[in-house]
Amino acid sequence: MDVLAQLAHGFEVALAPLNLFLAFAGAFLGTLIGALPGIGPVNGVAILIPIAYALKLPPESALILLAGVYYGAEYGGRISSILLNVPGDAGAVITTLDGYPMAQKGKAGEALALSALSSFIGGTLAVIGLTLFAPYLAEWAIRFGPAEYFALMVFAFTTLASLAGKNPVKALIASVFGLMLATVGIDPGSGVPRFTFGELKLYDGVDFLVVAIGLFAISEVLTLMEHSFLGTATRVKVETALVSLKTFMGSLWTILRSSLIGFFIGVLPGAGASIASAVAYTTEKRLVDREGSFGSGDPRGVAAPEAANNAASGGAMVPMLTLGVPGSGTTAVLLGALMMFNVTPGPLIFEQRPEIVWGLIASMYIGNVMLLVLNLPLVGWFARILTVPRWFLVPAIAALSFIGVYAVNNSAFDLLFMTGIGVVGYLMRKAGFPLAPVILGLVLGRLMEINLRRALAISGGDYTILYASPLSKALWALAILSLFFPWIAGRLGRRR
Amino acid sequence: MERGRRTDRIAGALLLLVSAGYGLEAWRLQADFLADPLGPRAFPLLLAASLAVFSLYLLVRPDPDPAWPPPHVLRGQLGMLASFVVYSYALAPLGFLLATTLEMAWLSRLFGASWRTGLLGGLGLAAALYAIFVFGLGIPLPLGRWWPA
Repeated sequence: MDVLAQLAHGFEVALAPLNLFLAFAGAFLGTLIGALPGIGPVNGVAILIPIAYALKLPPESALILLAGVYYGAEYGGRISSILLNVPGDAGAVITTLDGYPMAQKGKAGEALALSALSSFIGGTLAVIGLTLFAPYLAEWAIRFGPAEYFALMVFAFTTLASLAGKNPVKALIASVFGLMLATVGIDPGSGVPRFTFGELKLYDGVDFLVVAIGLFAISEVLTLMEHSFLGTATRVKVETALVSLKTFMGSLWTILRSSLIGFFIGVLPGAGASIASAVAYTTEKRLVDREGSFGSGDPRGVAAPEAANNAASGGAMVPMLTLGVPGSGTTAVLLGALMMFNVTPGPLIFEQRPEIVWGLIASMYIGNVMLLVLNLPLVGWFARILTVPRWFLVPAIAALSFIGVYAVNNSAFDLLFMTGIGVVGYLMRKAGFPLAPVILGLVLGRLMEINLRRALAISGGDYTILYASPLSKALWALAILSLFFPWIAGRLGRRR
Repeated sequence: MERGRRTDRIAGALLLLVSAGYGLEAWRLQADFLADPLGPRAFPLLLAASLAVFSLYLLVRPDPDPAWPPPHVLRGQLGMLASFVVYSYALAPLGFLLATTLEMAWLSRLFGASWRTGLLGGLGLAAALYAIFVFGLGIPLPLGRWWPA
């Protein structure tokens, strides 16, 4: 019952007035950010980090706010999927398949209510999973040596590479680009400045926030210039969001199965909400769609992706907190935020900083209840946000990005650097390079190098230490397997 | 070279150059003392080598080109980027309120609003953000050098 005692302590932290308010603020802003097509959770979290930092929030409070934005966005994303057929964020793409047809049949309120309930069940089950699973994983991971850590990080990059985009090689290039950015600055091992070109500003390394906001928010604004799909809704009418008990019970097994799928996909390093919702949808389609009604407004087709994407965002917290190895772009940004607060997640955090981990976990229980309340009776209010015209919304995103970056160092150099990184991010998006690996590389680069060098210092330069233990052998095998997974799956698919 | 796969070929060639430049720079790194057998240049050299291999793959097996934006969109994007550069330099001397109002008006225009709506929207947004950040959150934003201190 050690877990329960720890969780009770976490609730003490989470129920402090400031943290309660921040959980609410995170849930509210998350729903808003998710609802607006064009700003996803990564942008939202990245823009809020400097604000949390400038407010000198304690790390657990900052994390409660930022994580609230992260899982809140998975709730909000469904609103425009259902009402406008435009996904609010990447995790809500699948929700358009049955959500929009339901709205066209005049069942928008039912779709919104059912998806809110699915989101709540998926999100809450994932937090329960996190509560039960994370402490054991952390206890187990304490045995990791530097060689195992190095292999684990390689594994995180290879799974991300095979899942994050169409072309794994492009994802690997993006990872290496991020790792290269991480090597800029004074080498912690020898004190030698690397890749700074004599620029004093670069001695401390590339600023994580400037890269994150430039890469995601600025490149997003450039992309929005291109698309006219962000059709501003001229009128959005939502009748009260209610779902009949019969429809809800008819989807209950779908919701539970999809939550489970979503949680485990979320735990996998590299796979996040968008993959989870797609896998849950196709699984349910195979299992329960006997009449072929998926795709034409089946309530279960709305419940499955929404339960899964919320469960995935909870599951993605597991490797981030216990191993210090994030599994998605947004958790990488969260990890970077924690590092800014001088907190290094990993197995030891459960012993050394329990208030951070357990405060966060407890706040996620509370946050999910808040989100359910926000997303059921108040959904009409969020739907009205969709009528904000594009000429106002996009400049506002840009303004917030600029304030965020400027607030950290008050430096014009940072703003220019952010713009430059934004151009790189835009070109990468266009050419099919995923952006999440860059952030993962930037966040993990130093740790990866330190662990590699530590391992070889222990062995006196003998490279076999990298795959000496059974655990590291297993991790290397998994890494290689995950890299060739799309190729093997393609082969098997063709044979069938 | 057939048309339609240029983007990845150009990207591959550029990345190969990056890996060469980065690798050379890494090769030159020297530590006065070695705390560990690898030293400061091994990891960067590993990265340079990996990037070289991956970009060669990109050169050999390029994907089909993406749809690059048409000229009028490109002009808009360049106009936007130019304004970002100007804004970066103008923020401190002009102050947050004036610089942001003008920048927002310009961006709103690029997204199809009229000058009048853009200016009004920009002024409203700048004032609201200033109030939230400076008075609400206590995060200082520059007032501008023209402002009587």
